[in-house]
Amino acid sequence: MAVIGTALPDPPRIHRIPQSKYVDAVRWLPQFSAFDRFVVLALFDSSSDSPSSIEIHSLDTQAVTLSSQSTWAPPSRVSSLKTSQLPGRKPLIAAGTVSGSLHLLLANSVDASLESEFSVSEEELHVGRVSCVDVMEGGGEFVSVGEDGRVNLVSVAGSELSFRRFFDSQGLVSYTSAKWASPAEFVTGGYGFSLQWWDQRKPGGVASQLKGNWAQRMSGIVQSIDIHPSRKHTCLAGGSLGTVFAWDLRWQQQPIILSGIGVGEDGTHPACESEVWEVQYDRHTKSTNTGNISSSRVLPAMICSEDGILAVVEQDAEPIELLAEPCAINSFDIDRENPSDVICSLEWESIVLLTRP
Amino acid sequence: MLAFSSASADGASSTGELVPFSSEARATAVFPLHHGLKPPISRLSISWARGNSLRVSFFRKPSGDDSDGDEFGGKVLEVRLSGGDGDMSDAQFRRIAYGSVSPFALLQSRRNSAVSLSKISSPYHVEWWEYVMEYSKDINSLLSDPKSLTSPAIEDPKAVLQKAEEPICLKAAWDVMEIFYADKQSQSWLPERLVDWLAAYNGLLSSTQATIHSQLISFQKELVTLQVKMLRLHGSYQLDQIGNRETENGLVEAVAVLISKMPRLRPELQAGTLGECHRAKPDFIKAWEKWRAHITKLDCSAYWVRCDHDQTRKGLRNMLQIMLGNTNSLCTATCHWMELYIAHFLYIRPFTVGLESMYSLARKCMQLKPMTISHRLIQLLLGIIGDNTEVVLAECSRAFGPWMVAHAIELLASGSDQAETLLREEHYNLGGISIEELHRLVYAQVLSSDALTWQIAPIYLTSCIKQGMGLLEILLSKQPVQDVQILLKVIEICRLYELDSVSSNIMKIAGVYHWKHGRKGSGVFWLQQARDEVRLNRIAQQLFDFVGQSISDESFKQWEGLIELLGSESKTAGGLEFLHKYRDFKKSLKQVNDGKTTDAAQQAVESLISLMKNPSTPQQFWLPILYDSLKLLSCQERPLLNVSETNLLLNKLQELSMAKLRPDFIEADLPPQALGSVRLALATNLGRAIVEE
Repeated sequence: MAVIGTALPDPPRIHRIPQSKYVDAVRWLPQFSAFDRFVVLALFDSSSDSPSSIEIHSLDTQAVTLSSQSTWAPPSRVSSLKTSQLPGRKPLIAAGTVSGSLHLLLANSVDASLESEFSVSEEELHVGRVSCVDVMEGGGEFVSVGEDGRVNLVSVAGSELSFRRFFDSQGLVSYTSAKWASPAEFVTGGYGFSLQWWDQRKPGGVASQLKGNWAQRMSGIVQSIDIHPSRKHTCLAGGSLGTVFAWDLRWQQQPIILSGIGVGEDGTHPACESEVWEVQYDRHTKSTNTGNISSSRVLPAMICSEDGILAVVEQDAEPIELLAEPCAINSFDIDRENPSDVICSLEWESIVLLTRP
Repeated sequence: MLAFSSASADGASSTGELVPFSSEARATAVFPLHHGLKPPISRLSISWARGNSLRVSFFRKPSGDDSDGDEFGGKVLEVRLSGGDGDMSDAQFRRIAYGSVSPFALLQSRRNSAVSLSKISSPYHVEWWEYVMEYSKDINSLLSDPKSLTSPAIEDPKAVLQKAEEPICLKAAWDVMEIFYADKQSQSWLPERLVDWLAAYNGLLSSTQATIHSQLISFQKELVTLQVKMLRLHGSYQLDQIGNRETENGLVEAVAVLISKMPRLRPELQAGTLGECHRAKPDFIKAWEKWRAHITKLDCSAYWVRCDHDQTRKGLRNMLQIMLGNTNSLCTATCHWMELYIAHFLYIRPFTVGLESMYSLARKCMQLKPMTISHRLIQLLLGIIGDNTEVVLAECSRAFGPWMVAHAIELLASGSDQAETLLREEHYNLGGISIEELHRLVYAQVLSSDALTWQIAPIYLTSCIKQGMGLLEILLSKQPVQDVQILLKVIEICRLYELDSVSSNIMKIAGVYHWKHGRKGSGVFWLQQARDEVRLNRIAQQLFDFVGQSISDESFKQWEGLIELLGSESKTAGGLEFLHKYRDFKKSLKQVNDGKTTDAAQQAVESLISLMKNPSTPQQFWLPILYDSLKLLSCQERPLLNVSETNLLLNKLQELSMAKLRPDFIEADLPPQALGSVRLALATNLGRAIVEE
C-alpha cells in the first residue's frame, strides 16, 4: 500500500476552510512581501445572479482563515486558472472560460487588489471551452488550447491582448492541457494520452509527438502536464486511470510510467485509480534516491485525483499519500515561494491548506 | 412559502396562479404569477431551474390572424421557492449533506458486514449500539456550528452583544432522537438528559412567546445555576436595610447551599453546574430524602419571621416551594408546558421511567400549561414519548425535511424491534419497498436535483436494494455529457458500481455529441472507449469523404494527431485503420519524391501493396492511390513491382471499371486521363517485370 502521510514521522498539518460555493480552481498568488499570503479562487454558484467569480483572498496563516480582498466576474465559468509574475514582480492571473474567452488580471503587488484587466472575447479565440492556458515564465506570452483543436499564442501589446493562431487542427485533435518548456517551445496534451511538442521556430505543425502505443483499455485523457525548469527535455503528465507518466524527448519511444493501474511490476502500487486532475513537480520532497541523481530520473511529483487522493509519486518508489478525502480533489497548487505549503480545492465546496514540516 | 422573482403579482389573472400542494389542513394559499400574456394560454410547463427555483413556461395558442402580431408566443418565468428550514441557507444544507455521507456510508457497510457475518443469530450485537452512537455523534457534530461558515474578515465590534452560537432546530431535533433511540448508556438517567436538552434549546422553544419574560423566569428556575451566584451577590443591600442584613444573608446562604447540594441522578455534571451527582439509585434516594428534609426544615424555620425584607423573603420561600415540588409554584415559575414537564423530573418525579409514564406526565403538564403555538420540536418530542414511530417519522419529514428523515431512520430503527420491522419490511402500498428505502429515495431525489450534490446521491441510491440501482442508472444517464469533467466524474461512478453498460452508453452519447460538434478527435476517442464499432465504421465513411480524394501534405499535418489517436490496432479503430496505413504510404511516397534512396521506394511499394490488399481500403481511394504512385510504377532504373504485385493492381483496376457501372460509385476528382495513364504504367511495368524475371 501507499505510504500514508499521517504515518510519516512529521505528518503535514491539515486545515479545512469551507466555502459556500463550488471551487473550480485554486492557485497561490506570487507575492512581493513574505508576510502577506494570497490565494486566487475561481468560484461558481449557480444560485447567484452572477454565478462565476475570480476572488483574491488573503490567507491568515495563524488563524487559517481566508478573507476576500477583491472579486472580478468573468463572463462565464472559469475552466483554467494560472498565476504568475511579471518581471516587476507584479502578480498576474490568467483565466480561460468555458465560453472560450481569455482574461488577464494584474494585481497590486502589495495588497493584491486588482489593477487592470485584459480580455480576448469568446468566439475569436476558441469555439467552446478553453481547456488550458499557460503563462510563460516571466509573463511575456500565453498559450491557450481548447477542445476545438486551436492552439493560440497570446501576448500583451500595449493596452490590449493580441493573439495569433499557431495551429488549428479543425477539431481533428482536441487539446486538454498546455505548458511552456522554454520561450520557444511548449507542450500540449490531449486524448489518447497524447503529448505534442511544439516549437515556435517550426510553425505549421507539431515538432514532435509522443508515440505511447497504449493498449486501448489503458488509454485515456491527459489532464495536466508540468515541466521542470531544470529538466526542459522531460514532460510530466497525469490523466485517466490514475496514470502519471513522463516523456523524455531524448528517448522518444516509450513514456516512463510513474503510477497507474496495472503498472508496478516492480512491486509499487498506484497512488490512485481514477482521473488524475493535476500534476506538479514537488520541489519540497527530496528524491529518495539522492545518491543517484541522473538527469534521466524523473523528479518527485505531486498529484490530486477524482478519488480524493493527494499524493507524491516518484519513479520506482511507493507513493506518499498526503491526503485521502471522501470526495474529489479537483485542483491543487504548491506555493512557489514556500514549497512546503500546498492548497487544494475539494469537490464538496471547500479548500484544504496543507503545511508540511 | 413562495417568493417571486417576477416583480408584481396580479390577482385578477386567473390563468397565472400556482397552487402549492399542502398536506396540512390549512387553507390553500394561492400565489398569483404575473406573466403578462393575453389569454388563452394553451400550455403550461413547470420544471426545475437553477437551485431552488421553478421554471414556469407559458405558451399561447398561435393565433390565426396577424392582428396581434406584436404579441409574444410565450413566456418563461423563474419562481424562487424558499421555505423549509428558515434558519439554514442552501450552502449550510449542502455542507451538512456532504458531511453526512461518510458516517452514513460507514454505518451501512458495518451493517452489511454484520448481517453477512451472523446469518443465524440476530445481526445486531452489543457493538451495534456503539456503531449507531458513533454515527449519531458524527452527524451531530455536523449540526453544531452553522455560523462558522462565514467568519467575517474583521471582527465586528458589536459581536460581544451577540450570542456566540445559536443552536439550530435541526440539532435540537437530532439531539432528542439521539437521547431516546441511540444512547443506550444514558437510558437510566433519561429525565436528566431531557433537563440538559431543554437547558440547551429552551431559547428555541420560548422564542415563540414573549421572550424577555420567559428568559427571566427560566433564569429564576433552578435549571440555571447562575442564580446561586446572583443570590450571593444579593449581599449588596441598600443602606436602610443594614440592620437586617445578618438574617437575610443567612437565609440567602442557606438556600444557596441547598440549591448547590441538590442530588441529581446522573453520572456527572458539566463544569459550572451545581448539584451532587449520584450514579446508583439507592444512593440517590437516600440523598434525595435527606435534601428534602433539609428544605422542609428551612421552610419551617423561625428565621423567616425575622426577615424584614419582604421581596427577599417571598422570593426565597418561593424557591423552596419549587424545590419541594409544589405544583402551583412550579406552574407559576414556568412559562410553557415543556418547562413544567422538565421541572417535574427535577423536583417531583426524578424516577420517571418508561415512555408510558413520561407520556401521561406530558399530557398532564400540557393541561396545566397549554401552549398557544405548537413548536415543531414539541411535536417531534410528543411523537417520541408517545412511542409512535409513524408520528415521529411524519414530524421529521414535515418539519425537518428529507435529509432528516433519511438519516434519522437509522436511529429510529435501532430504537426497538417493532420500529425496525415497521421501517425495514416491504410494504405493498409503497410498491414493494420499505419505508426506509422510500425515504432514502426521496432524499436522493433532492440531492439529484442540485448540480452540486448529485454526486452524493449514488451513496444513498446504492443503499436501496429494490429501486436504487435503476434510479442510479437514470441519474447517471441524465448528466450532461458536454462538460468533459462531469462526463469523467460520471464514468468514475460507473466504474465504482460496476455499471459498465451505463458507462459505455454514456461514452457513446458523448462520442456522437463531440463528433456532431466538429470535434472529430474526441468523438472518435469516446466511441473507441465505448467499443462502438458500428458507429466507428459509420464515422469512417464520413471521414473518408472529408479526407477527400487526395490529401495534400499540408492538410496531413492536421490529421497527424487523429491518426496517432486511432492507433494501429485495427479492431478498435473500425474502418479507420485505413487512415493509418494511408498516412504511412503518403509519408514514404513523399520521401521518394524528395529523392531519397531506393529503400524508401521499396517501403513505399510495400505500403502500396498492403493498402491495395487490405479489404478495408475504400474503393473511392483506389484510383487516387494508384495515380499518386505513378512514379513508383514507372521507375526508370528497374521495375519496383514484381509480376504478381502488378497483376494484383491490374485486377483492382479491372474491379474498379466494373464498379463504375454501379449507381453508388463515387467518381474520384482526378484528371480524365488518370485511369489511362495508370493502366499504361502498370502494363509497362508488367512487361519489364516479366523480362526481369
